[in-house]
Amino acid sequence: MTAILQALASGLALGAIYGLIALGFNITYATTKTFNFGQGAFLVPGSLVGVSLLLLAAGKPHFGNLTQAEMTMTAYVLATLASVVVVGAIGIALYYCAIKPFVGAGGLNWVLSTIGFGIIMQNTALAIWGPASIAVPSPLGSEVWRIAGAGIRPQEVLIAVVAVAVMALLDIVLRKTRFGKALRAVAFNPQAAAIVGINVESIVIAAFVISSALAGLAGILIAPITTASVFIGLGVALKAFSAAIVGGLTSPRGCMLGGFLLGVVEALVGLWRAEMREITIFLLIIIVLVVRPGGLMGARSVEKI
Amino acid sequence: MDNRITRRTFSALLVSTGMVLSLPAFAQNEIKIGYNADQSASGAAELGLSGLYGFQAAIEDLNAQGGVLGRKLVGVVRDDAGAPPKSIQNMNELIDNEKVAAVVGPTNSGNALAWLHIPQQKKVPVISHVATATDITARYAKEPQNYIFRVSMVDREQLALLAAYAVKASKSKNIAIIADTTGYGQAATKDLQEILTLHGIKPVGIEKFGPKDTDMTSQLAKLKAAGADMIITGSLADATAQVLKSMEKMDYYPGLLSTWGSINTPLVNIAGPKLAEKTIFAASTTEDASDRAAALHKRLVAKHPNMPAFVSAAQGYDAVMLIAAAIKQADGTDGPKLQAALENLGKVQGIIKAYDKPFSKEQHEALGVADFHLAQWKDGRVVKLDDPVVKGLTAADLKR
Repeated sequence: MTAILQALASGLALGAIYGLIALGFNITYATTKTFNFGQGAFLVPGSLVGVSLLLLAAGKPHFGNLTQAEMTMTAYVLATLASVVVVGAIGIALYYCAIKPFVGAGGLNWVLSTIGFGIIMQNTALAIWGPASIAVPSPLGSEVWRIAGAGIRPQEVLIAVVAVAVMALLDIVLRKTRFGKALRAVAFNPQAAAIVGINVESIVIAAFVISSALAGLAGILIAPITTASVFIGLGVALKAFSAAIVGGLTSPRGCMLGGFLLGVVEALVGLWRAEMREITIFLLIIIVLVVRPGGLMGARSVEKI
Repeated sequence: MDNRITRRTFSALLVSTGMVLSLPAFAQNEIKIGYNADQSASGAAELGLSGLYGFQAAIEDLNAQGGVLGRKLVGVVRDDAGAPPKSIQNMNELIDNEKVAAVVGPTNSGNALAWLHIPQQKKVPVISHVATATDITARYAKEPQNYIFRVSMVDREQLALLAAYAVKASKSKNIAIIADTTGYGQAATKDLQEILTLHGIKPVGIEKFGPKDTDMTSQLAKLKAAGADMIITGSLADATAQVLKSMEKMDYYPGLLSTWGSINTPLVNIAGPKLAEKTIFAASTTEDASDRAAALHKRLVAKHPNMPAFVSAAQGYDAVMLIAAAIKQADGTDGPKLQAALENLGKVQGIIKAYDKPFSKEQHEALGVADFHLAQWKDGRVVKLDDPVVKGLTAADLKR
């Protein structure tokens, strides 16, 4: 029983990470029907920029290891804001280099261009930070919280809380605000949106900035769990993408639900046979797509790539 | 404009021409030993860096005694950054351009396997002071002369020690294996199963995890349900740290035994100093193992305050001492003679132990399971483990 509870706790913690990253796919897909296939690489500057700022603030070189004493909540929040701003700004470059030349033109050129942009960024990070990973303490400490025998770390709870908050915010913004309506108008028909006075390009840029900023946020949030390194993004972003597809690319709630679902399935299958985890997850994805092509909470009849 | 050649530029010119032409007068007086190892990039780079410090210290000591055969020893150092192509290039350069008498290195087994044929064909002895793959010394074992030697911890031998400890320490004899899905982890799993079979034990569980996984609670829950009280892991330091963190989540602490990767600081940095103390691992020596080791450690830390793993420093030091003894015995640096001398060495004092006939035609491993210690982290340092189980281990327990 404790084992199942633990698997649920661990699975929800993992799922929150997937969900948070999946939200970054949602916002640009809702606007342009494209998204950043290199999203995983955007986690890298997210974590490394934040961690390096913390290191520099502690009077150390930009590459090294942080001690628990150097990691205060204030410093962590400031570093997180810096990561979000820096990676958000990279989102503008992403739009001009990898999206603008191809958006609306049909075809799948943007798929390769976003992957390529991610690889360029990852290798730039490799040149700056090198391949070794940086251990990052959590600002909430390293102890384990126990609920009915199952352990969970405060940082994992923080990630889940932030992820759900971001989801709720996105959900409200998309449905209730003028900006959200403009986003949806651009997605529905860019020409018509332009005619009624919406600045289509700035709306699209804003979507990519938000998406990239979310990757920056995810990068620094997961660093205390995964360590910060040039290689953190790839595996986790593939799972996040799967979560978005399962839950529904068009819905923030769907992305989050998909994330939690994948995390819990992964942990529960691990209780049975660890090597069956990926097989089960991708079988599940195929079944969901057959039954509900738009994902569990997505709009029906969405064009899939 | 002053076009006179000053004395300083003149001497600088002399030095640089000397380096380019490598004047015969220099070449005859010096004996060069190459060092080709990752000191900067891969997860094992710390071992290569400490190895360099030991390598340099041994050369200093030998030169302080007047060198070898009255000639000064010079270390020629190259970093391969963990990349096989760079490692191959370094090897060619050291042998063809620098004309080194012997090479110490590399850090990564994969790099060794990429260039073993070069020193073998060019007849230049190599002592591997870090890389642990069994095949490194075995590949040319059937050739008339095998130029590849090792002063390090062979994987199979380390695992033999870990298994012996687990069998002795386990009350229930419920022993389990957990390893990552990399080639290293899976080779360790296979070796462990074979070794445990020799002990007449079938593991109660064999679990896998992805090399980048951060939560192994599900796999550990299965081992807990199977009643495992000793778990052996074949993975690198960062993965072992994640296993420990998952154990902490579950408040489940069976004995966790790991290979010498745990000597690297990522274990402590990721798991935290307290949790890192909960794994026991194999090491050829520790800084508190003997007076010689303590003295070398003190000296190296004074010079390099951030020196990581002492163990590879000791192995690098001993590798140079064995090469120097062989040069003396061969009365020169001719490759085939040097190789023969290495296989027929007598007594050589090292840091890890006093070697007596360390190598022979059949045996190219200077260290074996009998030389290894078990160690653990204590207050941020690696110390030798000396509990009743270790004291009770006999040669008969070390099945391999």
